Amino acid sequence: MNILRIAIKELKVFRDFKMAVFMLITPVVLILILGTAMSNMFNGSMAVGDIRVLYQDNSTPGSAIAKQWESFAREAGKSGILFEKAGGDKDGILEVQNSQYTGFTVIADSGLSYYGNNRSSVEGSIVQGMLAAFADRYKLAAEVAKADLKLPANPAQPGAGGGDYVQEASLDAAKQPGSLDYFAVAVTTLIILYSALSADHLIKSEKKRHTDIRLMASPITKAEILTGKIVGTFLLNFLFMIIVVLISKYVFDANWGDNMGLVILVLSTEIVFALGLGLGISYIIRGEASGAVIMIIIQIAAFVGGSYYPSEDSTGIFRTLSSYSPLQWTNDAILQLIYADHISASITAMLLNMGGAALLLTIAAVTMRRREGL
Amino acid sequence: MNVLEINKLTKQFGDFIAVDNLSLSIQDGEIFGFLGANGAGKSTAINMITSLLPITRGQIEILGKNIVKHSKFAKANIGIVPQELAIYEDMTAYENVQFFAGLYGLRGSLLKSRAEEALAFVGLEDKHRSYSKNFSGGMKRRLNIACAIAHRPKLIIMDEPTVGIDPQSRSYILNSIKKLNEMGSTIIYTSHYMEEVEEICTRIAIIDHGKIIAQGTKQQLKAIITNQKNISIEVRSVEQLDVEKLRDIVGVNTVELADAVIRISSDAEINNLNKIIQQLMASGMEIRSVEADEPNLETVFLTLTGRSLRD
Ligand SMILES: Nc1ncnc2c1ncn2[C@@H]1O[C@H](COP(=O)(O)OP(=O)(O)O)[C@@H](O)[C@H]1O
Ligand SMILES: [Mg+2]
Repeated sequence: MNILRIAIKELKVFRDFKMAVFMLITPVVLILILGTAMSNMFNGSMAVGDIRVLYQDNSTPGSAIAKQWESFAREAGKSGILFEKAGGDKDGILEVQNSQYTGFTVIADSGLSYYGNNRSSVEGSIVQGMLAAFADRYKLAAEVAKADLKLPANPAQPGAGGGDYVQEASLDAAKQPGSLDYFAVAVTTLIILYSALSADHLIKSEKKRHTDIRLMASPITKAEILTGKIVGTFLLNFLFMIIVVLISKYVFDANWGDNMGLVILVLSTEIVFALGLGLGISYIIRGEASGAVIMIIIQIAAFVGGSYYPSEDSTGIFRTLSSYSPLQWTNDAILQLIYADHISASITAMLLNMGGAALLLTIAAVTMRRREGL
Repeated sequence: MNVLEINKLTKQFGDFIAVDNLSLSIQDGEIFGFLGANGAGKSTAINMITSLLPITRGQIEILGKNIVKHSKFAKANIGIVPQELAIYEDMTAYENVQFFAGLYGLRGSLLKSRAEEALAFVGLEDKHRSYSKNFSGGMKRRLNIACAIAHRPKLIIMDEPTVGIDPQSRSYILNSIKKLNEMGSTIIYTSHYMEEVEEICTRIAIIDHGKIIAQGTKQQLKAIITNQKNISIEVRSVEQLDVEKLRDIVGVNTVELADAVIRISSDAEINNLNKIIQQLMASGMEIRSVEADEPNLETVFLTLTGRSLRD
């Protein structure tokens, strides 16, 4: 009850109309600007043209599968998906992990195996789909594994039996995010991460107004105070998130896919993560500096995590960094939900978000217990 | 039963002792004043009574219960008016009072009526729906009080509630403190304004450097210095005054200057007024008035600490 009371108070403190409008207009305008400015990066052909897959042919030379593979690879090349033969000195899996290639496939008499680069999700899905169609057509056993071997193997979905594999799996325009579609997702997750700043202010704002004195002097516990404030801020940010998603969906026609429930769930875990980040840092770094540190973290996470341009397009160090960005894993999870109906990335993202939040909130709670005030 | 019982209370910040072996008891129905200059340790003592600061040594009991062992009980029976304004400026006056009173377990219609009552009590009954950010300093101070009293605490602690406000709001607040007291609350009032404490408090503790240097009723405190008399002499200008020469006069204890007024505290038995006036005239000063007055708390403080309360 006390928790609820404090949570509701958090909402009241925030009902400043101008502030609310500002908080809504910022993401909406960002989606529009980025979605329009970057639209030339999102012509379907461009995304597909980028796909490079490494392969190694271990099948008996001259066998049926070897011939079929050759014609398949040639055909795929016409649609911009380049299958490159691995040289003897190249470790295919390593190349994929280094993000030089979208995937690595090994052709053997018994069938295909595929190692996907789990960062290039949309492209990876396309390749997987094509290979599945190929295998399906030639009745081969397809075995697909993620390059990240800690994750469970993710079996490719078999193609819808028999059709023309190239057309079927790759060039379905509806399965590619347009510019607005992409930035509707990327800006929403970015804005959510910014709620770390409001979490940073949760305790500071009470101290600034000296209301922490009244809270601490009243017969409720510190845990109730902190929980109430977190719940309130969560609800507030949840509300904003829903509104931004709805505006982008119904006003801009952005594609949020058919798994809206799961998308919202993933976004909700990101809110929890952001609140944990803000509170954790504000307890680790006391004083005004914490806001600046959070800001820097958000900016880096945004830059490498696909907020301003798709992180699939980045290379080298940025690519490596991107896998540590909460925006990267959340964006990836949502894009996979929308465009490939893949759930596994969402589960990973939710675990990472909630795990990170649990860690950061524990740090905050332990620090708070040791302190005299809030 | 005593509402508040403090036994050998000490607070140390590192090596610095902010509250030093403080003992006192406050009975039901009192308005008890903590009088002391800035930095004397008043707020630190109050922060320990309200469980905001951990106690270094000593015990505090509220209504007979130790505040560490019975923290919820102690907190529930106290209403605190912090030295700094502690209100949400982006909430209305009513919402502020309702929120804080709710933390003390008030619910529903009782919460509503108590919140309204508290606002009416401080004269903000027609400001329920106004945001406190638009309030004047005095109105904010009054709301600060309303937030502390809606749950009808047994003990109300006010830490310098009149700092920086207009005289009208100040007298309103002083009157409401008396009214709260008549309605059954025991009150601790801290201030560095002598006149306020003298006006409303039934008993007073004079605190200096964390210690109680004297405590009792106004009369008891003044009795400490009945052997003192105060002489105020108004002159045209104090420029040529040689303070040392005045101090050398037999019986004179302290000499203080305030604008064109010379305040002298002197032993009551020694008749030295003639010598003082002679000395002033010898320095070529033009005397406008001479007054010998009753000792007040200011003189008590001055005598006990050797310093003036006013900064
Ligand atoms: N948290 C603290 N750490 C160190 N010193 C403090 C702290 N709080 C108060 N003090 C010191 O204790 C003394 C008493 O302060 P305070 O109780 O606020 O005085 P008052 O309320 O009588 O003006 C002051 O010298 C102040 O600087
Ligand atoms: Mg003080």
